Amino acid sequence: MSRRRTTVYWTGFCVILALLIMAPLVLPEFWRRFLTEILIWGLLAMSSDILIGYTGMVSFGHSAFFGLGIYGAAAALLSVSPPSLLLALLSGLVAAAAAAAFVAYFSTRLRDIYFAITTLIFSQIFYVIIFTWTEVTGGENGLTFSRPPLAIPGLFSLRFAPNTLHWFVLAVVVLSYLLLRRITQSPFGMVLQSIRENEARTRAVGYPVERYKMVAVMLSGLFAGLAGVLYALQNQFAAPDFVFFLVSGEVVIFNVIGGIGTLVGPIVGAAFFLLLREGLSRFFTEYYLIFVGLIFIAMVIFLPQGLLGFARRWLNH
Amino acid sequence: MSAALGLERIGAESMPRAASLLSTEDLTVRFGGLTALNRVNFAVEHGEVRAIIGPNGAGKSTFFNCLTGVLRPSSGHIRFDGEDITGASPDRISRKGIARSYQITNILPNATTLENTRIAAQSRRHGWSLLTHHRAYRDIIEKAEEALEAVGLRGKAGELAANLSHGEQRNLEIGIALATEPQLLCLDEPTAGMSAAETHDTMELVRRIAKNLTILIVEHDMQVVMELAQRITVLHYGEILAEGTPSEIQQNPRVLEVYLKT
Repeated sequence: MSRRRTTVYWTGFCVILALLIMAPLVLPEFWRRFLTEILIWGLLAMSSDILIGYTGMVSFGHSAFFGLGIYGAAAALLSVSPPSLLLALLSGLVAAAAAAAFVAYFSTRLRDIYFAITTLIFSQIFYVIIFTWTEVTGGENGLTFSRPPLAIPGLFSLRFAPNTLHWFVLAVVVLSYLLLRRITQSPFGMVLQSIRENEARTRAVGYPVERYKMVAVMLSGLFAGLAGVLYALQNQFAAPDFVFFLVSGEVVIFNVIGGIGTLVGPIVGAAFFLLLREGLSRFFTEYYLIFVGLIFIAMVIFLPQGLLGFARRWLNH
Repeated sequence: MSAALGLERIGAESMPRAASLLSTEDLTVRFGGLTALNRVNFAVEHGEVRAIIGPNGAGKSTFFNCLTGVLRPSSGHIRFDGEDITGASPDRISRKGIARSYQITNILPNATTLENTRIAAQSRRHGWSLLTHHRAYRDIIEKAEEALEAVGLRGKAGELAANLSHGEQRNLEIGIALATEPQLLCLDEPTAGMSAAETHDTMELVRRIAKNLTILIVEHDMQVVMELAQRITVLHYGEILAEGTPSEIQQNPRVLEVYLKT
């Protein structure tokens, strides 16, 4: 990146960050919640971009990692009293990472469509387990729990007001973005991109490609789990619907709409998709999905690089 | 006399000499009913430039694929630098010090020329660093630039590899292989599809890098082979037909019969 582009990038970053920080002060309650939710779905989509955009592996299993983040947090919040934010985070991340390690071990031996199908099947297995294991997971009804205070033991404890929750989510998402961005620029990230460009050649110059892919899936699953924990904090319930593969499909759509391989693109894609759905469902009730589908098809045809790719080209001209 | 002969036979065939950088022992590859390589015993010494020639289907590419771990031999052994590498994975073999350039250009087309050699140089270490920017590793970038310099592409470092000419991409192939700092470089038809001028330049390039490297080269262009190689191995139907210096090969009646005359 040239100096000028770096300046433009960080200026844009600061402006958007400032807007997101101030947003809950001016937005009505409904839209504040909506914005927080966009950030959470954006983080989920961004985590999957590590695989789709950077390694060239399309995962249809992100609902499993997301869902296990939710259920992991729920388990900690329901079993430990008083509920602890740190434990919820830890438990959600461990659950998601364990699931990701399991899925990664089996799926990374396969490529392309076979990888996608394997991740989908594994996520459906998790769905069935969660759906049927009623004593532990609440089955179809899911689980409800209360929100823990924003606390670091021994330092401070603060009740989550709506605004603080938004800022907490924003902080986690922004830190995750910076971390993931750095990872994609690291030697490790460059290997992932090399695998995307030419897997056989990457192996031939000395990289154990399967191990890199495994770590990529685990990293991706970990951040998806983090999104799950945030979702649990925001909505205070866990439901098997979040583990269902439709969620994984939406995550892939967020990526494609926003622009893969950009990290920010998937967040933009999530925002666009959720706003579109919200807007259209007000006018067309249950038929809104037809229009969402049509718009999606049109975007894939006319904006194959996604909204961000389009914006970039437009800015460069 | 006969005992001495017997010893020599054992020394030459069953026990590869310790000095050989690379040796194969009864290397055999079967694809179903087809025997692509049949009990190939082959050795390359340190610092040698060895050419492998043979008609299409002689088993040259199969042989390269075995050496670099792409194919697992049906039987037999491959030893490299004193270690048995039979059936090792391509990435392990690369880390052991065998590099390869491909007959059909095999690069990262959407990365810059420099990134192509940088990722190769990085594989020797630092591949798992997660939180440092890749540009912070100056040593790797310098190695990558040296590799580009060696193949005459230093001036095109920032260019997308896809935008290079065919000849330049062929040389980038060699540059990527060099960036892994190999002991043995396997070149699979490095001058394929090149103009006469480009072929000449690439030959000069191979001659230059051969000063510090052992090179194994598969080539169709007889002039290239005769000028570059110190020794030539002729493969025919998966077996070694002849081995010797270029002039010996040129005069070998069996080679003339199956290969050079056709």
